[in-house]
Amino acid sequence: MAVHCNLIENGALQETLYYYRLYPGLDLYVLPKPGYYKKYAIFSTRFGSIDNRFRVETGGEISIVPDGVAHFLEHKLFEDDRGNVFDRFAALGGSANAFTSFTQTAYLFSCTANFEKNFQLLLDFVQEPYFTEQTVQKEQGIIGQEIKMYEDHPHWRVFFNLLEALYREHPVRNDIAGTAESIAMITPELLYRCYNTFYHPSNMALFVVGDLTPDDVSRQVEANLAGRDYQPMGSIVRIYPQEPAEITRDRTVQELVVSEPIFFLGFKDMVVEKLAGRDLMRREILMELVLDIMFGTSEALYNDLYRDDLIDINFGAEYTAENNYAYTMIGGETKEPEQLYQRIMETVLKAKKEGITSEQFERHRRKILGGYIRRFNSLEVIANNFLAYRFRDTDLFELPSILHEIRREEAIALIEENFEPARHAVSLILPQADG
Amino acid sequence: MPEEYLYHYLPNGIRLIFMPIKKFKTISMGLFLHQELTPEVAAANALLPAVLEQGSRLYPDYLTLQRELENLYGAELDTDIIKSGERHILAFTLEMAHNRYLGENDRLLRKGMSVLGSVVSDPLVIDGSFREDYVAQEKTQLIKDIKALLNDKAAYALERCLALMCAEERFGINKLGRVEDYRSIGADRLYSYYQDLFLHNPIDLYVIGDLEEEEVVSAAGDLFNFTHNVEGKALPETEIMQQVSEVKLSEEAMTVNQGKLVLGFRTYTGYQDELYCSLLVYNGVLGGFPHSKLFMKVREEAGLAYYINTRLERHKGLMVMTAGINYADYQKVRKIIDRQLEDMASGKISDVELDNTRRGLINQLRSQQDSPNQLIAVHLDGSVGGKTYTIEELSAGIDAVGREEVMAAAERVKLDTVYLLRPREGEMENNGCSL
Repeated sequence: MAVHCNLIENGALQETLYYYRLYPGLDLYVLPKPGYYKKYAIFSTRFGSIDNRFRVETGGEISIVPDGVAHFLEHKLFEDDRGNVFDRFAALGGSANAFTSFTQTAYLFSCTANFEKNFQLLLDFVQEPYFTEQTVQKEQGIIGQEIKMYEDHPHWRVFFNLLEALYREHPVRNDIAGTAESIAMITPELLYRCYNTFYHPSNMALFVVGDLTPDDVSRQVEANLAGRDYQPMGSIVRIYPQEPAEITRDRTVQELVVSEPIFFLGFKDMVVEKLAGRDLMRREILMELVLDIMFGTSEALYNDLYRDDLIDINFGAEYTAENNYAYTMIGGETKEPEQLYQRIMETVLKAKKEGITSEQFERHRRKILGGYIRRFNSLEVIANNFLAYRFRDTDLFELPSILHEIRREEAIALIEENFEPARHAVSLILPQADG
Repeated sequence: MPEEYLYHYLPNGIRLIFMPIKKFKTISMGLFLHQELTPEVAAANALLPAVLEQGSRLYPDYLTLQRELENLYGAELDTDIIKSGERHILAFTLEMAHNRYLGENDRLLRKGMSVLGSVVSDPLVIDGSFREDYVAQEKTQLIKDIKALLNDKAAYALERCLALMCAEERFGINKLGRVEDYRSIGADRLYSYYQDLFLHNPIDLYVIGDLEEEEVVSAAGDLFNFTHNVEGKALPETEIMQQVSEVKLSEEAMTVNQGKLVLGFRTYTGYQDELYCSLLVYNGVLGGFPHSKLFMKVREEAGLAYYINTRLERHKGLMVMTAGINYADYQKVRKIIDRQLEDMASGKISDVELDNTRRGLINQLRSQQDSPNQLIAVHLDGSVGGKTYTIEELSAGIDAVGREEVMAAAERVKLDTVYLLRPREGEMENNGCSL
């Protein structure tokens, strides 16, 4: 079968990306990086912790699965009847890993020798599941320890507590790894059901980067897929609950052993479900700029708070936007959470009233462009970012052109729209009297 | 072809290490001042970079400095204090996007270097002193940082183990010094200390990027032309021969869910030792990789931990093993660990384990060449260790390590300290057992 290859040129970065669509629907991207010793590949499926209710078109039954299945499956793909996949990468000098987020599960390796063999191994192990009662049971112990580790991690807790407070229904409020109870319900049968739905190539994408010849890579993938007798699959329908505009609670507090309170403030963004693709990316870039102007190191608030000993250098703000949820989070460690809260809310009001200046807008736009270019030093960052954008139907390589298009008026309008007092909540970790 | 380092000495004796590398999209630079690690000046060493970053004569406050950096397309200026063996290194780094990708003809090198030079060598001085308020503010922040170690339980446990293990040695002090030492540091005394340090102590300046050698040498000569004693001060070597009379045991109770186990070992093998490469392989076979004995036995076979690994402090000749476990499983885990240590010592190591480890180590070495920060870190290691290995030397050295050599390294390894952070009584899921 003829393979179509599209070249995506990026003038600003002086990079050329090669894109292939391979039967039965796998997207392959190859970015040549001459001069790099390392080669990096990431094979990712659009299956994350939030995908806990789904069916396959047409006519498939709805499956409802326990929290933490995507992450559990990620762990279990590394083992088969011949043992552990890490060992096989090690024999080839490759270094392998994987991660699960809210929206995807990714398998990856880097190597400086034996690329083809390492790559073959990645393609093979991800496409060859092996789940048994015994291996599933053992993994419950390992993941049980992983969950405990996160329970003791105050910055992880403050983040998830805030998501729980902001979201009433949406599964983004649940821990990616699930809970001890939810993972106890996982069986081999359940893992196979999820696997057969989400690990079809048409739900997956591959990004390969390094000093490589794109057509060689595509031929290898094509040959690998050809031997597997894939049939086309209907599209996956993910069913998410209707998330109300209202939040769960406006304040959530947990005590842990910490040196100082940890304070996070969040705003739930409801407009996002109506946006996709380029519009979503535009909103994301605008919000990054707006947050940097309101809370960044070069503006008054940050410097005043720092001088008043209400924050440390880890204070910051971030906007996250996926296809069906989005939120802003602001915070850090502070000895006076109430005071910090007041000062942030005053700044929000002030920004709504005064807007932002064109000097601020241009300066922060420059900063975003420079930061974007700096990211392109790292093969891992390029590949991981590209796929994260790709899975929300956006394109990392479009960032410079969107950045060029955005206008100050849009940014000002977003301040008014996206800091809605009715949709904000506070999450606090307070020092526990230990002993 | 490995990347080359080009050496120059600036007129004032500062060593310039320039790496002309085309593949990076950035210009990276870093100035590193070497000082001995001692309890008397550890706090002052940590405080100095933090105070200098608050403002210089040209950019008299943090906000002004940050705005200048934003105008340079979000150049990132960082200061840090590094503990490497019994060396204390004051670090000042700046990374910026290369002008080629910004549609900017102006060479950014000089502008970026001028900001770094200003912060390092042209501080804000009033009546022979740093600004009192900046010094007071940074003391507060660093004291908070020392206390905040508690927030990351794994890092806390590691630091506690090393502090106990090296209580009688300079290495035992925290890289930020002791809280009580901050009280007595005055802004004027800190300024005299600064002058003395920059006059006498060895300084390395690194520049990496697609740049002309001449241009780099001339810019560095112009922008780092402060008075510096060419002779340089000789710093004492790291002491690695501390004997172990008996294994120290320490258990600390805290309100946590997961136990943290840290074992501190002495390897009696330093950076220049003929067994250095053997030690790298020893550590790799035991616990440096996912294919290592510990990961395989404790996690994959027994399912008792999510993470367990070993790493080396190469200059101090230490190896630390860390794991997150159920406290109740301590004896079980410890038994597996001890068994692996015995197997290492008696040479029960398969050819596959050796091969995989050598390949993994060489893969790491090559991969370091793809990151400006890692290239600097590797070279800095050579400065501290008093020996600059080329990548070929290290690769050949690692390749030559066989079972006998690993056993020779193993023979020297002695357990010194066992530290266990455990949940409080009554908060455990089942009955714990003691050490």
